[in-house]
Amino acid sequence: MSIRPALRRLWPAFLGAVGFAALFTPARGLDVDPRLQKDEQDRIALIEKIKAPVLAVLAPGGQGGGSGEIITEDGYAVTNFHVAAAVGSLFHCGMANGEMYDAVLVGLDRPGDLCLIKLIQKPNQTIKFPTVAIGDSDQVKPGDMTVALGNPLLLATDFNPTATFGMVSGVHRYQKIPHPTGTLLEYCDCIQVDTAINPGNSGGPLFNMKGEWIGINSAGSLGKSDRINSGAAYAISVNMVKNFLGHLRAGLECDHATLGAEIDPENEDGGLGRLVVGRMLSGSEVDRRGLAPGDVVTHFGGVLMTNLNQFKNRLGIYPKGWRVPMTFRHDVTEVHDVLVRLPGRTADVLPDKNPQPGAPPEGAPADEDSGPPPLPPPPPNTDAAKLFVAKPGFANYYFNKLERDALIDSFHRQGDFTAFQGPWSLRGDCTIAKKPTSAEVAVRPPSKDQKDDLILGTVDGTAYKIDPLDTATTLKDLMDPPDSGGMLLALYQYRQLMTQGEKGFIGQLSHGGVEPFYPPSVVGSPPDYRKRVMCDVLRTKQAGVATKWYFRRADQDKWYMPQAPTGELIGFEVSPDHDEDPCEVYLADYAQQNGGSVPGRIEVVCKGKTYAVMTNVKFTMEK
Amino acid sequence: MNRLIRIGASASAVLLCFAGSVRADEAATKEIAEVNKKIVKVWGSGGLHGLPGFGTGFLISGDGYILTADAQLLDTRDLRVHLWDGTKYHAEVIAQEPELDVALIKIKPASDADKIEDLPHFDLEETAKRPPVDVGTEVLAFSNCFEIATRNDPVSVQHAYVTAFAKLQGRNGFYEMPYNGKVYMVDAVTNNPGAAGGALTTRKGELIGMIGRGLRNELTGTWMNYSIPINAAAEVTQPDGKVVKTSIVDVWLQKEKYIKANANGQQTKPGRTFDRILRETTGIVLVADPVDITPPYIDDVVPGSPAAQAGMRSDDLIVYVGGVSVKTVDDYKQMMFHYPPGQKVQLELRRGDTLMTVELTLAKLAERK
Repeated sequence: MSIRPALRRLWPAFLGAVGFAALFTPARGLDVDPRLQKDEQDRIALIEKIKAPVLAVLAPGGQGGGSGEIITEDGYAVTNFHVAAAVGSLFHCGMANGEMYDAVLVGLDRPGDLCLIKLIQKPNQTIKFPTVAIGDSDQVKPGDMTVALGNPLLLATDFNPTATFGMVSGVHRYQKIPHPTGTLLEYCDCIQVDTAINPGNSGGPLFNMKGEWIGINSAGSLGKSDRINSGAAYAISVNMVKNFLGHLRAGLECDHATLGAEIDPENEDGGLGRLVVGRMLSGSEVDRRGLAPGDVVTHFGGVLMTNLNQFKNRLGIYPKGWRVPMTFRHDVTEVHDVLVRLPGRTADVLPDKNPQPGAPPEGAPADEDSGPPPLPPPPPNTDAAKLFVAKPGFANYYFNKLERDALIDSFHRQGDFTAFQGPWSLRGDCTIAKKPTSAEVAVRPPSKDQKDDLILGTVDGTAYKIDPLDTATTLKDLMDPPDSGGMLLALYQYRQLMTQGEKGFIGQLSHGGVEPFYPPSVVGSPPDYRKRVMCDVLRTKQAGVATKWYFRRADQDKWYMPQAPTGELIGFEVSPDHDEDPCEVYLADYAQQNGGSVPGRIEVVCKGKTYAVMTNVKFTMEK
Repeated sequence: MNRLIRIGASASAVLLCFAGSVRADEAATKEIAEVNKKIVKVWGSGGLHGLPGFGTGFLISGDGYILTADAQLLDTRDLRVHLWDGTKYHAEVIAQEPELDVALIKIKPASDADKIEDLPHFDLEETAKRPPVDVGTEVLAFSNCFEIATRNDPVSVQHAYVTAFAKLQGRNGFYEMPYNGKVYMVDAVTNNPGAAGGALTTRKGELIGMIGRGLRNELTGTWMNYSIPINAAAEVTQPDGKVVKTSIVDVWLQKEKYIKANANGQQTKPGRTFDRILRETTGIVLVADPVDITPPYIDDVVPGSPAAQAGMRSDDLIVYVGGVSVKTVDDYKQMMFHYPPGQKVQLELRRGDTLMTVELTLAKLAERK
């Protein structure tokens, strides 16, 4: 009771009167601080500058819709999966200038609530679409002002977007929402804003005050007033979108990563949250890298981990299959730095150790044919229907084939060896276990003496002979020489890609999106995680053996942006056994041989250890 | 019962003015990071039937005193707080001032060796010296609304303007909104689940108010977004009937009184916590609930009370409230929260081997002066 400041009643009353006048006679303008006037003008100018690529996304028939934004001049645009789920594979998109375009579904990331679509040019007319300027959501801080553009409540009949301003309330948030289709939408590392976000804003852009696109407005906390703005809304961070753009553009049905080990919820006694490893999925890569129950994860994806939300955030922004650095402590004292290929959340179940008759062969990844039911295809006789091919495992196979063919073409432009259908071999100086020796690997195509391809090799004085297509060939044979993870088989796969092209991979030949690749910097030293190279990935399967081929992307700074493939193959991974580490092959020192560019240096790595380094490699190919 | 919220406001308070001319183009990132260190996430009872089991508070001393809302959250022996850096502590209730809707709680050190000192905190006495901010002032609201943050996640921060500084009289469920002083109304949706007890600050991070609980206007269906000023006084009726003016700052300054009273096992005043209201409207005295799974056995029935009139007796076990099974004292309280005074509620009791159904007409709350 002692401290009770006198209320200053008169003073606010006086100021109030001034404000009243200013509010109702804005034309006079004189009473308004010029800085406020400038702020207002800046805001108006900002909206004008950024609104062109904002889309009103509508379902044919007008039932429901959302928002979107165009990211490339040839018309790729993003929206939410939950918008696509309500719309289908054919979208009507209204642009801010009042023009209406049709768009077709390209790629889907259901758990991440992302969808890539492509606007279809009108007949006899090709325009450059306006695009958003892509920002960096890791730079966003609580307190930053933002503007959301979109089509809340489907208000704009002329598609001129609605603008709402607000502040960033929090970053690196984790939220999850079940979707009626059965998918759990997880918003990992998302941006929380108090900017008014209402139904219909979904899929639309969140901008910072520089006009850079930083997020996709997607969800809000359910307040007390149904689905209307509750003061806490969430935008998918644009940096997560970047990680998935390559996959989406390849028409994939994306999955997010998991760890292959459970992290126990926070320990109950005080102190900082520690991420203690609980149950492990046996046979997972973290298991093979030495992670054990009771170990403490300290860094993930290069970020210090101090609570479970943070870990879920970091894990959730990666697509399935990405290789990510991780640091953990074992027995408190041992610190392990490892690279881990992250398994998927939904389809990546462990293969059955005792397969039933008729079951897919061991080593076959359990994807492709499983997964959620696809979205309905576009109605026939529409332009969108010409750009749509349904196939399990893909959101729209048409775009996968498009990207895949462009990637293979670019590879053949580096060196087309498809004329060399005869015997093929390579040999070179070789270092195995720091000991100089030699290696020669040859592939002999089918002849009158033999039914199948035959791999012949002499490595470090030992001769090998493998029939990779014979069902009697054991897994152990396929993984020869010992400790190499399957070097002979890997080089056989390389010959398939060089000389056979599409017909060399009957099992699978598809674009695998964009992934990081970690070349070994110095022989024998661990890979430098900071020197990752972003690559276009080609996925193949031949004779039950899955291979991922890594092609360097042209622009490593804007690695996430669509770009013409280089065809520069810098490495590949061959997995004879889905349950074991693949045989990694790194290619370097390309030079001209046989009328094309081939690597002069081949390094073979398995389980994080270099098995062999071949130099002065000479290829011999016969037609 | 009048469940309308009336905003009585003098003409001076509702007019908009442009008193604050802080530009929006400079983000208050630094100030936000500093304030965040003073905010704590609170976990207590609740979690059922729409009542959040989480809330917000803020530190007002280096040794761990925290101000928070006087909510049902505090009706637990397992009150926990998370500091900005992720440190987790148990906390105890020091003082409750229902008339201000505020409670003072304190961090309990994990052990005798654990010295709690030098925690970042708001200086309440400094706050008390500042006059109320003007209508039109740009403010920031910090809270753990929707339980978005845990451990060292920063709490949510929202941006708003003060739209009114006015008296608020409201009722929420059958809680009276006891506070009858002026409040800051803001133009952002600040009073979400879990936000009560959060801090309202200026753009510079100066504390000005505590975010209140959700109050709904029954007429318009809209929810009020208000904060209780730290230093604005409200009229409070003392047990002896005397009306005095007091503020949140006073609760802090007079904490010794509360601490002493608590040590003697008595409260300084009969604050209207939910437990007391429940006892007053039913006449049911439950057994003490030393563990979370204590079943709702009746210990005693107040003569002449609705429970007595319905024929309830000690040793009866309450098994259903309004057709919903209640297994613990906590379940029972959660369910009863949905029945305002004056309403009828059907209870099923187990007495010995028989089940019986009784209907209770909850007494109206005695008028408070």
